[in-house]
Amino acid sequence: MKLFYPIAATVLLVGSAFTFITAPNWQIADNYSIAFSNDQAGGIFKDFKGTIAFDDKNPATAKFDVSIAVASLNTGNALQNKHAKSAEWFDATKYPTIHFVSTKVVKAGNGYQVTGTLDMHGVQKPVTIPFTFQHAGAGGTFAGTFTINRSDFKIGEPGGEVSEPVKLEIAVPVK
Amino acid sequence: MFKRALFLGIVSGLLAGIAGILYARVYYTANEADFSKVVTSVKIISGSLFGGVLAAIGYTLLAKTLKTRGEIVFNLLFTVISFASLLLPIAYKLPLTIETPELFPGMVIPMHFFPALGWYTLKPLFIKDPKVQRLA
Repeated sequence: MKLFYPIAATVLLVGSAFTFITAPNWQIADNYSIAFSNDQAGGIFKDFKGTIAFDDKNPATAKFDVSIAVASLNTGNALQNKHAKSAEWFDATKYPTIHFVSTKVVKAGNGYQVTGTLDMHGVQKPVTIPFTFQHAGAGGTFAGTFTINRSDFKIGEPGGEVSEPVKLEIAVPVK
Repeated sequence: MFKRALFLGIVSGLLAGIAGILYARVYYTANEADFSKVVTSVKIISGSLFGGVLAAIGYTLLAKTLKTRGEIVFNLLFTVISFASLLLPIAYKLPLTIETPELFPGMVIPMHFFPALGWYTLKPLFIKDPKVQRLA
């Protein structure tokens, strides 16, 4: 019994410390944009979801766990959509989700950098994505642009007509 | 000759345009696929008129140069060109805000045949076939 109060106090102290360092959770708004492009192809992913915990004053506590449904890909052309989702490219049946989980978020210049694991087409690779966060009222918008090599994720044949680097432009309003 | 062919081209083009607009409305009702921002009524009418007038020019040129065989060659060419033009909607890249691009060819492909259908249907009213007249 003698130990109850010191232990309880310690638990409360440690627990409250953790509540202070947890970043606020943001809810992804509907008007997000996940676009990909290179010289030969381009399009968007229409289905994006996940959890975002981010405090711009304390980015080290941030956590991103987001995923994209590969089947929601839209290039604006039915044949290209079918081709892009086929086994030759994204293989949407076998790998239906693109998943990113952050491991580290740091301040970088005027913005931030999130490092994490990108799981795409059955390949998991560490990637670093520079991004900004702009407050707008009670919400804000995350925006980032980065480039990946499609061959790193075994998407399509190496070389060929479609160039290797693919630019990803992400704009995610949150509330 | 060209005057009658041109008149046929304009009338069949206009009717093809009207048929195209009606078909687009029916397609939208049946499939909930709205492409009206990409394929406007003005574009349907002007595209069909363009096809009709082009047919009139082609018909006149072929009839003058190939005489009796001109019409056979023209009909063949008109059908082949209508088929070949299907590549345009199949390869067309829609704005990314349109969520059902796979339904786009189904709406536009039939429209590519409307000018030819209009021409073949209305031609006896505008350009009499001497062989048919002889039989009558």
